[in-house]
Amino acid sequence: MSDTPSAQILSRLSRDEFVGRGAEVRRVCALAQAGSSSNAFLLGAQRAGKTEVLRQSFDCLFNERGQVIPFYFALRRSSVEPEEFARDYFSQCLAQFLAFRSNNARLISGNEPLALIARAASPEDHPWVTSLIDSFIRALESGDESLLVRCALSTPAAAGSYAKLNPLVMIDDWHLLAGTELRAEFLRTLTNRGSDESATYMLAGMQRMMIELIPPDGELFDKLEMIRLDRLGEDDYEKLVRRLAEARGIEIGDSTIELMSQQLDRDLFYTRAIVDAAASRGSRLQTFIEFERIYTSEVVSGRIGHYLDALFRDASSDARNGRAMLEASALLIEAGSSIPIDAIVERVTKYTSGHTVDAEALIERMHSRELLDASYGFVSAPGDPVLSDYVRAKYRSEIAGVPRPAAGEELLGEKLKHSYRLMMSRYNRAIQSQLIEVLSRFDFQSIPSSLFHHAAFDKRYRGMSRVQVRRALDDEPERVRLPQIVVVNDLGPVDEAGVSCRLFAATGFEGGIYTEANEVLWLVALINSKEPLDVETIGRIDQRLETAMSSERTAQTNAAARVVSWYVSKEGFSAVASERLANLQTNLQAHRSTYSNLDLIQDYMDKLALGGEARPATVFELVIPIEDEAELIAARTAEQIARAADFDQEAINQIKTALIEACINAAEHGDSPDRKIHQRFAIDDNRLIITVSNKGKTFGRADRQSTPSVAAQPVKAARGRGLQIIRALMDEVEFERTDDGARLTMTKYLKRPGSQ
Amino acid sequence: MSVAEIRAKLVEDAAVIYPGPYLNQLRGEDVENQCQEFLTSGVRRIVINFEETELINSIGISILLGVIESVNHVQGLLVLSNLNASNRELFEMLGLMSHVEMVDTEEIALLKLTGEVGQAVV
Repeated sequence: MSDTPSAQILSRLSRDEFVGRGAEVRRVCALAQAGSSSNAFLLGAQRAGKTEVLRQSFDCLFNERGQVIPFYFALRRSSVEPEEFARDYFSQCLAQFLAFRSNNARLISGNEPLALIARAASPEDHPWVTSLIDSFIRALESGDESLLVRCALSTPAAAGSYAKLNPLVMIDDWHLLAGTELRAEFLRTLTNRGSDESATYMLAGMQRMMIELIPPDGELFDKLEMIRLDRLGEDDYEKLVRRLAEARGIEIGDSTIELMSQQLDRDLFYTRAIVDAAASRGSRLQTFIEFERIYTSEVVSGRIGHYLDALFRDASSDARNGRAMLEASALLIEAGSSIPIDAIVERVTKYTSGHTVDAEALIERMHSRELLDASYGFVSAPGDPVLSDYVRAKYRSEIAGVPRPAAGEELLGEKLKHSYRLMMSRYNRAIQSQLIEVLSRFDFQSIPSSLFHHAAFDKRYRGMSRVQVRRALDDEPERVRLPQIVVVNDLGPVDEAGVSCRLFAATGFEGGIYTEANEVLWLVALINSKEPLDVETIGRIDQRLETAMSSERTAQTNAAARVVSWYVSKEGFSAVASERLANLQTNLQAHRSTYSNLDLIQDYMDKLALGGEARPATVFELVIPIEDEAELIAARTAEQIARAADFDQEAINQIKTALIEACINAAEHGDSPDRKIHQRFAIDDNRLIITVSNKGKTFGRADRQSTPSVAAQPVKAARGRGLQIIRALMDEVEFERTDDGARLTMTKYLKRPGSQ
Repeated sequence: MSVAEIRAKLVEDAAVIYPGPYLNQLRGEDVENQCQEFLTSGVRRIVINFEETELINSIGISILLGVIESVNHVQGLLVLSNLNASNRELFEMLGLMSHVEMVDTEEIALLKLTGEVGQAVV
């Protein structure tokens, strides 16, 4: 099954713009395959792309023309009255059935009368279609709304049975059934699975409301498959934003993409709204201020603002509730944490005086629409940063009386100040995750001790490249035996001027024996500062560590556990601070490392985990434009990297020549739309792997059979011999086609003295 | 990117051309034009000195082949000198050794062209 349909029928996104959801589409498509007996919910946060997954799945199954016949229906708030729904559902399902039978997607698009739809049936299908329409008309004329809805809902199953196909019915916005007469008939249809005429149902919508629609004791839950649509991963999100921007001809900066990922929480709707708004205004998204201007305007008075207005309107049963909802939201955002529901009820009641409103019901509706999170008597703001900005700006303009343009400017100022902090906190979070991962992997390994002793490391390895250090660490005789860590706790930040510091406590055992005597507590301070850590700062962090040590010891069953402290500082330690830490060893073993040491510890642990046979490579990336002599920049880069990896001059020259040929080929044959050549240099213990890729149709003649000997070829044909030169100079050469171009991977092995 | 202009000089009735640090299409065409000028003006002995040439690509080599052909066509003599090890390896790989003589230094090349050295040092 292909990831994406070959023709767009219901899907709204092109193949390029539909990123990172291939697995979910495959799961949806597999639902109605033979043997499957489950209905399914497609669950995910709002605006995670559920509708598009359903639409892409429809297209996929339609184009595949296999044993599964797809049906798609989106409930609308305006058509949940039984008769209107039944007419709509019946005619759409029938049109989709006939479209599938005749492989004519155009039948789906129109909202044609039944008689016209029936005309599209083949002579073979016509009698069955006519009889189906007759049954429906009879149900319509009976005046029995339940019968009519039942009749409409049975259409996909009846069609599947007639055509001997498995129907997969995808219902979007299923939550709109809440409080309607349709709910009971739908639930009955869903439990009809397994009978002669049945269909598999895939339901999507607002997840909280959907779950509430299903009775907790019902058998539906027994066979209900849950497909969860998480937020796009960072890589997929970046790919998506680049493609959206490229398709709209917008220049976008790498940092802006990272900021968007953080500030928009990788929300697909918000992201498209921003990129579309930039396109319509002819603005770039290269800088933070360009992005924040568009963002502010979208939140205050653009598509995002209108969308959130609509969401609030939808949650409000009465236009007069608007202020109460805004007050409640603002209170929650201001609080920054959960607050008792009574406090919110009080605030809501205060601002709904003058008309009768059930404050708890209003809060419940806001919860259902994910405008707040209510749980066990407490309420909190949902983790949607854009919603928070919208509420703050709306509060200023609607309640505090600040004119709308001024409210927007205030938001812009806030966002600009916040954007740099956001990027920094992202960096800090990444390091924190790395530290936690490293601690969690402590498993009695024996690690070179210099990695825990910054001064010794500096003395021993100063001036050496990272590749050289990695090799030399193998030969280091002094070792630190790690404990096995069982649990890592985040003890929170330490407030220090100019320094970002966070403490962690890791508890475990030493020596491989699980006794109280072997219990150990590692207290870790992760410190990000611009300068090497001075003695005063160390002193203050020490105090915090001691406090943390006392409370951790109190919390532990074994208060006598040995304590080890570990300072991990981005910029290392001043000489005086190092000395002070060294003196601490009399009563408290103190390790000190830099971020770079932490990286090497992780790297060393990776190597040990791989049995010493291989080690993850150090990777460099370079992108050069396709223009005169840019390949020289690539060659110079390769030279520096190869030299740092201890390649001899002869090998370096061979690598440079081969890389130049690879770049020329990529430029000459690539027909690359972005006019760029992407290069990746990966060094591990014994080789340099260079990958050169472009976005073009071909890559020279590498994909053809290679010629065994370059020298055997007539010299006149030297031009165009680039790939043969590469093969002759490098040890391994491989060519691959990629989705959007071609990739050449060439490897040079390091020949150490004495090696063959 | 700035790459030095090619240089050339006349030593008695022989010409010496220095292609510069990178022999690519651009520099190759410059060498070809310079060589053509010498041939047009009656010079028949030419040395191409690669002492400054760090890198040569396949397009540069193909143009060089054209230069060899042009010199042969007018019964001239061409000698290459001062190739570094990797460029020499590249030329060997592409079979240029059978079409043109390569020597270690410009001096030997000039002697070779005047017939004072019977056997070029390859």
